[in-house]
Amino acid sequence: MLRSVKGLVCHTPKLDHGHALHTTAKDWLSSTVSQDVRILAERSRAIFRTSENDPANHAEHHEGCHYSIPLQEVKAVFPHGLPSPFQQQIKTFNEACLMVRKPALELFAYLKSSSFAHPAIRYVIYGEKGTGKTMTLCHVVHYCARQGWLVLHIPDAHLWVKNCRELMQSSYNKERLDQPLQASFWLKNFKTTNERFLKEIKTQQKYAWGKRESTEEGRPLGEVVEQGLARVRNASDAVGVVLKEIKQQCHLGSFRLLVAVDGVNALWGKTTLRKEDKSPVSPEELTLVYNLRKMVRNDWNGGAIVTTLSQTGSLFKPSSAYLPHELLGKEGFDALDPFVPIRVSNYSPQEFESCYHYYLDRKWLQHEKARTAEGRDELRFLSGANPRQLQRLAGPL
Amino acid sequence: MAVAAVGRVLRLGGRWSVAARDGPRAQTLRVIYTTAVVQRKNVAASGPEKYTEAFIKKQIEEFNLGKRHLANMMGEDPETFTQEDIDKAIAYLFPSGLFDERARPMMKHPTEIFPEKRKIQWGEDGRPFHFLFYTGKQSYYSLMHETYGMLLNAQKYQDQMTAQGFPPEKEKKNLPGSRWLTKVELEEMLLEKLSDHDYSRFIQLLQKLVTLPYGNVEEKYMQKFSKEIAMQLQKVVIEPLKYDEQGVAFSTGEGQRKTARATAVVYDNGSGKITVNGVDVLHYFPVLQDREQLLFPFQFLDRIGKHDMICTVSGGGRSSQAGAIRLASAKALRSFVTEKEVEFMRQVFLCSVAGLLTTDPRLKERKKPGQEGARRKFTWKKR
Repeated sequence: MLRSVKGLVCHTPKLDHGHALHTTAKDWLSSTVSQDVRILAERSRAIFRTSENDPANHAEHHEGCHYSIPLQEVKAVFPHGLPSPFQQQIKTFNEACLMVRKPALELFAYLKSSSFAHPAIRYVIYGEKGTGKTMTLCHVVHYCARQGWLVLHIPDAHLWVKNCRELMQSSYNKERLDQPLQASFWLKNFKTTNERFLKEIKTQQKYAWGKRESTEEGRPLGEVVEQGLARVRNASDAVGVVLKEIKQQCHLGSFRLLVAVDGVNALWGKTTLRKEDKSPVSPEELTLVYNLRKMVRNDWNGGAIVTTLSQTGSLFKPSSAYLPHELLGKEGFDALDPFVPIRVSNYSPQEFESCYHYYLDRKWLQHEKARTAEGRDELRFLSGANPRQLQRLAGPL
Repeated sequence: MAVAAVGRVLRLGGRWSVAARDGPRAQTLRVIYTTAVVQRKNVAASGPEKYTEAFIKKQIEEFNLGKRHLANMMGEDPETFTQEDIDKAIAYLFPSGLFDERARPMMKHPTEIFPEKRKIQWGEDGRPFHFLFYTGKQSYYSLMHETYGMLLNAQKYQDQMTAQGFPPEKEKKNLPGSRWLTKVELEEMLLEKLSDHDYSRFIQLLQKLVTLPYGNVEEKYMQKFSKEIAMQLQKVVIEPLKYDEQGVAFSTGEGQRKTARATAVVYDNGSGKITVNGVDVLHYFPVLQDREQLLFPFQFLDRIGKHDMICTVSGGGRSSQAGAIRLASAKALRSFVTEKEVEFMRQVFLCSVAGLLTTDPRLKERKKPGQEGARRKFTWKKR
């Protein structure tokens, strides 16, 4: 049967996509199949991609579509915010494509309609593992960055409460502990994100860093950041100063502030750090956490606080916990109390189709069976429409 | 047994050995003087001990008497005391913890206990009963003789019919549900050893008889040598679909693997959602391998997104629970599917475990004494 088909190939090359004439029968058969798939793909390209690159204009009809962020913007807006599998994907595909999903659109609606004279509203994005909470947060961050807000993005608060090599006693307050490495790392990224704001905002008070160094009143905030980066010992205090200044000046209205914290349940949980006398450290004793808690309180106006719960990095929490009161604990829940919960769930059938076609389009799914309908059903079954599972499944294929 | 020994003593008493085997020729008993050693050797060479008829009869009488005594002991009616009652009574009176059923005390009819052995084939004068005794395999050759006689009869009948002008009947094929006796079964029937060659000759003869046009005249004779097989095809009953309140069709199935037991309820018109013990399948089976096992029955029938499933599982470990649910869902899917596909499901695959509808019989192997595990031996030390 194959030989007769091969004869047909030599006589009638029906394909006009630039295929070589001397294709084997198998290639011919599979290429007809893929031709159909390609036609389908071209039709659905309209479905799963959108050319609307400004998150502000994303509306409900864009739901399920991927939009791309130019790589320059990625470096500017997200120096540290994206999850690492996604960063690898950006490198592989040479583009950063984010899916527009319902929770993000919901958040945009709230942000657009909230009045900034009132105290900042807190939003908590929660959901099961791997459903896309961090990506939703990044979408919101991108939106606010485009709108010109000052973005205070803490990529993972869990990094501040565990695996810290150096803990120093704070020079400002004897009882607290400093984390110079994490603080300086964060300051560096903060600088990349918000260059122009650092020049505009002026300090309102004098800060003394040591015997000889101090920052005068009225100096741009950039100097505080430089000080923190240059003198790593004072980095945590520099972070505290930055946060305080921004919070104080936000209500003046010259800029809007977005506080985006990923893994906010780390601020109220336990830590794995120990002091030198082996006694455990509670989160309030860390300078960074203490200052961040002050930011997350809603006693300021002119912005919004968007947070995410995360079980993946959390300590001492069961892996099936994903609800706010489970992950935050009583203390955290009371502290965050009036908040707007936003649930992120697994892919809907339409979103799954969109993601699947995106992978096909980027030639990420190489297996022949993956292109068939059965393959798609298999992927859907095995991943359970969970974004992270799908991404991990599609990797080896 | 005692009777045979007495018989021997009678014959060999006083170091006199009677040449009884020179059957019909010897009218007088010749006296042969031999030594005790030779006599003893002869005794050993006479073959396995044979039970005489009288001995068996005595055993049967003893058994019946014992049965009545047992019934009296248990307070039951001796007349209506069946073999099952006997077994129960013995198990009660002599409780045994032995694992092997055959090692426990039992009381059965002597025909079941004493294997049918060849009774002594010659009379008191030493003359054998059967005319083919001296061939060595008298029952085999007599059987062949009889079967060949049947064959000749059938041929004669056929000739008669053709002579009378009736056309020969069509060749009747052997029913697919029957097979000939195996060599072991034939040996048991004939009570003597056969060789492979003998057995094959006999089967060839039977088959020739079958293929003859009028061979089915001797069907009764042939039925003695055939057995029915493949009862299992008729045993499996596919349950019809049940309908619940909203009119959605569903069916249940049970499965097991190692120590895990699972029940699955498969609903029609679904979206491919699976719930295990009240938890979503992604949470219960975080490992991909287990989910692949669950996927397999649906994928085989191309019904991945069409059914919902709710299952409960207990026991075993992660992998055996997945296997148990797979079997249960395959059994439940039988009702949704045509006969042909059921046959496909049962067949053995080259790579995977036997089919989709067979319970995997592998269990944990017992640890043996003197070894560290089931197979692993202790470290071997040279000295």
